[in-house]
Amino acid sequence: MVRLDDYEKRLLAGKEGRLKQVCLENILRYAEVLGAGQLCEVTKAIVFCGAHNYLNVKPSDTPDEIFSRMNLAVEEIVPFDQTYENCYIQSCISPCDQYEHEPFTQSGEFFKKNAEFLEQARRAGVIITGTCAPYLTGWLPIRGEHFVTTESGVTVMGNSIWGAMGNSDGIEAAFWSAICGRTPKWGNHVEENRAATHVVEVQAQVNSLLEWDLLGRAIGDPLPTRAVPVIRGDFRGVTFQCLRQLCTTLAISSNCEMCHLDGYTPEARSVEDALRGKKPAGTLVIDEQALQQAYEAVCDPGEGEIDFVSLGCPHYDIDQIKRVCDYLKGKHISPNVHFMLWTVYPIKAMADENGYTRIIEAAGGHIYTSSCPGSMGEVFLSNYNGFVFDSLKQAGSIKSETSRPVYFADVQACIDAAVAGRWKVKHRWPRSR
Amino acid sequence: MIPGIVEGQALVCPKSITGWGGIDPKTGIIKEYENVNRGKSIKGKILVMPGSKGSNGWSCYFGAARVSGAAPLGWIFTRIDSSAGVAAAVLQIPTVVDFPEDRDPCRLIKSGDRVRLNGRSGKVEILEAAGSEDESG
Repeated sequence: MVRLDDYEKRLLAGKEGRLKQVCLENILRYAEVLGAGQLCEVTKAIVFCGAHNYLNVKPSDTPDEIFSRMNLAVEEIVPFDQTYENCYIQSCISPCDQYEHEPFTQSGEFFKKNAEFLEQARRAGVIITGTCAPYLTGWLPIRGEHFVTTESGVTVMGNSIWGAMGNSDGIEAAFWSAICGRTPKWGNHVEENRAATHVVEVQAQVNSLLEWDLLGRAIGDPLPTRAVPVIRGDFRGVTFQCLRQLCTTLAISSNCEMCHLDGYTPEARSVEDALRGKKPAGTLVIDEQALQQAYEAVCDPGEGEIDFVSLGCPHYDIDQIKRVCDYLKGKHISPNVHFMLWTVYPIKAMADENGYTRIIEAAGGHIYTSSCPGSMGEVFLSNYNGFVFDSLKQAGSIKSETSRPVYFADVQACIDAAVAGRWKVKHRWPRSR
Repeated sequence: MIPGIVEGQALVCPKSITGWGGIDPKTGIIKEYENVNRGKSIKGKILVMPGSKGSNGWSCYFGAARVSGAAPLGWIFTRIDSSAGVAAAVLQIPTVVDFPEDRDPCRLIKSGDRVRLNGRSGKVEILEAAGSEDESG
């Protein structure tokens, strides 16, 4: 039985309207499944707005009907017209670029439908940001702050890097929390559950962003449900960019919601600190072979023509765009290749201002915003025969969508392949160690 | 747990099913490229898995399968986690969770076994072990 405070009782009685009532009813059902005894206030939320492909199972012209059936899981139509006033709410990626639809062979009609979904959310109080990297636009929960997010990597980052408190939940539950302002006080929202459960000894060299990606998969794959690893190794030179790659891949390779990095994350001044006096339930050793296995599981073998090269998962920050420009200067992308970088539209504006967009376009590439290939799906992907990504998450996601070759490489190898119009064995990791 | 009693054929996913694109919500067919059950459908099955995996877009694919009539009949999670909790709350199908370490359903139940689960009492029974012809999913 969940204990309710006065605000929650008022919502449940319908005194704040049917929408908030339904959302709290759903949160209570969720709390009962988990066995949570109370709720906590959510003040940061990322929600999943747009005409996403999985919503197509409910053919309807009205965003409110689709929202009610799919996100609220009710048969009645409950308009999505408000959110929780104390919550900072941004939108995650949508299936459309912020400005264009033609480069993705999406119809104008679909682009308009997506815009209607976004407008519905904007009117309800969601800031339309369109990114899986909400921290790039200032969405940063602090230590102890309760958050919800529809981006799994951000769940791990929020808990691990910022010491904020969040669970993976799901797309529906993120909406429920953003609207009623509550989530079950369970899992990472409870201080004592944040202790490390497993010790990970990293014996491999982990330097490049690709290697941090591989480390996430190598750790995530064998992790049991609800494990919290504390990771120990020689991590001199680690940056936020490295950690976000680790957290993103760890999240998609397991159901891990939090990790500690010995000496770097705030709840792990040491391995003992992260364990909080508890004995670890297990130990993992990650060596070079484990990273190699992680790579081979995602990158297809062989060589061949490629016509699709995508960078930026999670969405690139401005420094990553600058580094692409530095490497790309003077080179020309093969005319057969669609070469693209993905980011959030305010970062794109910075790229325009700094001349980076001009350099990328002069080389034959594009900067796109607010989405990613995996979210656009078949309508875009079916036009291409060979894919290259600088992200394990994106490569893995596309491998489930196509039988065509999918390759995974570091940024420079991705650019080399885009220039050549061909994937070669020399692009594979490790290139030169 | 979600109350209710159901009987059906088990589909065991020892490494779960990944979120975001792991299944086709219109048919319930598993699409995940490295899933041992790729090509099989979750529709009408008793799904047995350790917990959720991958994207926070996990429950929504099962929720979409519910809307299109391709949902599983029941759910068995070795250990409940937040994504699995949301999915159970959305689907409202009989669900049993949190098994003792020596009673891991992913090891004890085989795909194709006929299983009865009682979401109120938490009891899971194997009524009939799978013959090899029953394992096609």
